[in-house]
Amino acid sequence: MSSLTNEQLERYSRHIILKQVGGKGQEKLLNGKVLVIGTGGLGSPAAMYLAAAGVGTIGLVDYDVVDLSNLQRQIIHKTSSVGKNKVDSGRATIEALNPDVKVHTYQELVRADNILDIIRDQDYDFLIDATDNFPAKFLINDACVMAKKPFSHAGIIRFQGQTMTYVPGQGPCYRCVFPEMPPKDAVPTCREAGIIGVMGGVIGTLQATEAIKYILGIGDLLTGYLLTYDALTMQFRKIKIPRNPNCPVCGDHPTVTKLVDYEQPACDLRKKG
Amino acid sequence: MADGMKTDANVDITDVVCPMTFVKVKVALEDLNDGQVLGVHLNDGEPIQNVPRSLKDEGHKVLSVRKAADDTYDLIVQKNGLAQ
Amino acid sequence: MTITVNGKSLELEKPINLNELLVVAKADQPEYVTVERNGEFVDHKGFVSTFVADGDTIEFLYFMGGGAA
Repeated sequence: MSSLTNEQLERYSRHIILKQVGGKGQEKLLNGKVLVIGTGGLGSPAAMYLAAAGVGTIGLVDYDVVDLSNLQRQIIHKTSSVGKNKVDSGRATIEALNPDVKVHTYQELVRADNILDIIRDQDYDFLIDATDNFPAKFLINDACVMAKKPFSHAGIIRFQGQTMTYVPGQGPCYRCVFPEMPPKDAVPTCREAGIIGVMGGVIGTLQATEAIKYILGIGDLLTGYLLTYDALTMQFRKIKIPRNPNCPVCGDHPTVTKLVDYEQPACDLRKKG
Repeated sequence: MADGMKTDANVDITDVVCPMTFVKVKVALEDLNDGQVLGVHLNDGEPIQNVPRSLKDEGHKVLSVRKAADDTYDLIVQKNGLAQ
Repeated sequence: MTITVNGKSLELEKPINLNELLVVAKADQPEYVTVERNGEFVDHKGFVSTFVADGDTIEFLYFMGGGAA
């Protein structure tokens, strides 16, 4: 017997009509649990679309407060939330959008000594890496490989973005592609290089799409593919990426066997060329 | 229901409008097994114009449609009946 | 010879190694870029000894952080 109320049948009617979803699919979403690490440019749209879709449990991780410069793209926050904790601001938006969603907030940085506890707190089904720094990205990758949890990786800068999905046993992890951390100043941040606000929307929504498809068990995920997007040329490319048998984390002989807090090495001042 | 044909379940969708009409029928069908039969009580107008077609698009077989005295309809549909 | 780099054709007069290709193809972040040749990753240590061949498909995969701040 369907557990959906009349109000839910109406709220999610556009999902239920879809052959690949139906009432049963909607129930899967309502029972689904997704952890969004970072409630910024990527996390904002991802969390909002997950909430709209009726993912019943959403975790938000962010230690930061809302800053005016965030509002150009972090659309889960409002002008009135400047100065508030991002996770609280995010929760308020989600609760107003969809009361079916239970939000769990973690006002902290992910670290080697807390990330597995956070993942296990609700035994999340799928994780979204919406962070902005490489130590966090490497840690999230390692934790998901070791905890056997699927996750969506993404990064954005200027007018570009990219994303890939890791599902245990079904393709490469992030570190198959990028085994070692780049030095601190090698890769610009959004603060330094700028970011067109909509980029987070496009890529973050793709991340939510992967989470939703994973929960529903439909479609083809970006496992074994890096999807890149250039907003200036409006070009998407789907690049096949192999699992790396020498990957330090998921390879045949892993050298990374426990979680560590990565330090980004300072840039060597070596001559170019 | 008024048909003499035995149904495994019934749903009344005269209290909602499209697309909720199809949504309610679809959800009712999910509880049945393939080959089982659902009775649907629906209104004239958009519902009778849309619901049978939507059911067919999803692979279900409409076995009969009867108009009742009050201009509502009773439809009988077999789950996945077109997949033979 | 013709190779494809990031989906675009590139004409070369003679085979060059991957270090030279990074220069010719104007790769960003040449010290940190991940290079895929015909679907396989090539370690940075192997760039100097890996020469491109006619018909090769090369991808430059870049770090992108961005995200929250």
